[in-house]
Amino acid sequence: MDEKDAGPLPPPAAAARRFSISKVWIIPVVAAAIALGLAFQRIAQEGPTVTITFKSVSGVEPGKTQVRYKDVVIGLVTAVHFSPDFRTVEVSAKIAKEAEGLMTEGASFWIVRPRVTLSEVSGLGTLLSGNYIGFERGRPDRVMRHFTGLESGRVVDRDAPGRRFTVHAHDAQHIDVGLPVYYQGIQVGQVTSFELAADGHAVDVKIFVDAPYDAQVRASTRFWNASGIDVSVNASGVSLRTESLLSLFVGGIAFGNASANAGEPPAPEGAGFALYRDRETAMKQPDPNERRFVLYFNEALDGVEPGSPVKFLGIRAGEVTQVGMAFDPRTHRMRGRLEITFWPERLIERLPTAQVQDALALDRSAKLRNAFLEDMVMRHGLRARLRVASLVTGQSYVAFEYLDHPPAVRVDWKSEPLELPVAPGVLPAFEEKLSALLDKFDALPLQEIAGDMRALIGDARTTLRGLDVLTADIDRTAVPKFAATMEDARAALNAAERMLDGASATLVGPDAPGQRELRSALQEVTRAARSLRTLSDSIERHPESLVRGRAADSSP
Amino acid sequence: MSNFSRAAAAECPRCGASLHSRKSKAVERTAALLIAAAICYVPANVLPVLVTTTLGGSEPDTILGGVALLYESGSWVLALVVLVASVMIPIGKIAVLVYLVFVAKRTVATDQRQCTRLFRMVEFIGRWSMLDVFVDAFVVALVQLGPLMSVRPGPGVPFFAATAVLTMFAASAFDPRLMWDRLRPGLDHG
Repeated sequence: MDEKDAGPLPPPAAAARRFSISKVWIIPVVAAAIALGLAFQRIAQEGPTVTITFKSVSGVEPGKTQVRYKDVVIGLVTAVHFSPDFRTVEVSAKIAKEAEGLMTEGASFWIVRPRVTLSEVSGLGTLLSGNYIGFERGRPDRVMRHFTGLESGRVVDRDAPGRRFTVHAHDAQHIDVGLPVYYQGIQVGQVTSFELAADGHAVDVKIFVDAPYDAQVRASTRFWNASGIDVSVNASGVSLRTESLLSLFVGGIAFGNASANAGEPPAPEGAGFALYRDRETAMKQPDPNERRFVLYFNEALDGVEPGSPVKFLGIRAGEVTQVGMAFDPRTHRMRGRLEITFWPERLIERLPTAQVQDALALDRSAKLRNAFLEDMVMRHGLRARLRVASLVTGQSYVAFEYLDHPPAVRVDWKSEPLELPVAPGVLPAFEEKLSALLDKFDALPLQEIAGDMRALIGDARTTLRGLDVLTADIDRTAVPKFAATMEDARAALNAAERMLDGASATLVGPDAPGQRELRSALQEVTRAARSLRTLSDSIERHPESLVRGRAADSSP
Repeated sequence: MSNFSRAAAAECPRCGASLHSRKSKAVERTAALLIAAAICYVPANVLPVLVTTTLGGSEPDTILGGVALLYESGSWVLALVVLVASVMIPIGKIAVLVYLVFVAKRTVATDQRQCTRLFRMVEFIGRWSMLDVFVDAFVVALVQLGPLMSVRPGPGVPFFAATAVLTMFAASAFDPRLMWDRLRPGLDHG
């Protein structure tokens, strides 16, 4: 290259000039190489540009707003413009090369804004940095470049172990993204999103349940709203329940399993469930194969309402679903009508293990089941009757019991729902007796009884006075000695009156001994007096009966 | 005298080093360095020279972006200073040297006196063209407020520095006497 090194023979000038390239050209070549290298690197690192459609883009600025995944910046918003119809906003974002693989179908974008709720404070960083676009991975199969932004962000990492379920709620009251999900009082997940169901009549709440608790969600698992305090008054008394102190303020969704379905396999991902109003409602939801029966009562249905328990031999086995009336077209009589549901599983689960299989077989076959029921009713005297569960709340329940000497009944075994025979309630008689007893204890009219006694004695005195006159007559006419005897008798009666006065004072006095005995004695006296009165009335009406005896057809 | 083969033949009678009546391969070297400088000037302007990190995030700034920002914020004097020092001077230097190279290669007819004056100016101004790099160094050293705010030099800085250095080298590699050689037709080697 350099002429000096060309050898002893200097080459021709023209040739030398043609091939002489100075070493200095290395510099631009290196510069070009570096520049081109950088350019290639840039191009190679150039990620895809994706478009995300949002309804509104508060706080999104081109060149500033970042796209973040797991809080790592994976892209930058390059442009914000309207969609052709001006209904939505399209955000273009340049995504880093390394995140190119994330831009697949199902990936989600949402705008992260600061959020302060009672249960959590999130996105505080955005107060200083401005809103950013959150990102969550989709399925890694189909590459996409156009996405629709979510209105509310995902709160759960797609990689988090656990499963997603949908809960169908009546409304979104108390429901919010991030709302905790409880199982046995432990927070095991949260609400990830909620939206109006396709039919517009319900709200689909998407929840995420963390592993390993997700295995507790089974096909028959019940979900209920655990908002605030759950106070319920029923036949079992007052119950007060809350999932946790946090749920007291922010609410939550809880789920639980009935002990019967402990062996069930976990529900599949995305399974749907109903959201019940409260735990009570959720847990007593009819079992899949509930039986419906109808009962007609001739007595008042006091204290029975939908939800009142139905017990079989004292074990909870169902509930009243409807309280109404029915009209008997033949007798023109209105009767109370109760519709009840009966849950055979609740009873079967209480059987000894050895009998469970038999019972299940029985439960499955309609024929066997009906035969069994018929036997229970016709041969063993199974009857429904109303019973008071709580004297305090006045709640009643329907009890199925065996009667010792059941009156014969006719049951139409074909009717649907089946009408079961009832027994004249324990309830009214019991209540009557009770109230009578209470009345007696409450206002035993001892004072009046004493007064009555005094009046009685006064009557006696009048009678005696009459007798006096009679005696005077007799005295005058026939038996003068008798007067003295009558005088004695009067004295004796006066003495008796004094004694009774004293006795009544003793009875009324607070420390009266043997008061109860005396009370019953006095009742006996009252009764005797009443009988006497009846007898005297009878004699007054039929004086001949004294002579002839009572006539067969006459009644007092 | 400017003949390369003749120049190679001249030696120092004392130390034997080869003597040149003109700077050796001046036009070639200048041209090579100018091309390198021009190449480096592209990333110097495209890549950010300052990356400002605040609480919210980091924001890169290029030279022209900084000029625009200064102008928009009202300090048009500062914008002008930066524009002149960081954009116009490097481009002007490269343009002037390219022109002089063509003059030296006798492809362009011109006034040699003016060209020499132009060359002296380029040589003089060269040492001031590192303004941006100095500003960067200052800012980066000063603005280090921990997590609140920090400033880092961007990848454009070494390219900008390379542009300045390469144009200075190009100016020093150039031999202004070459421009005058054409006035002596006997030395013309076409």
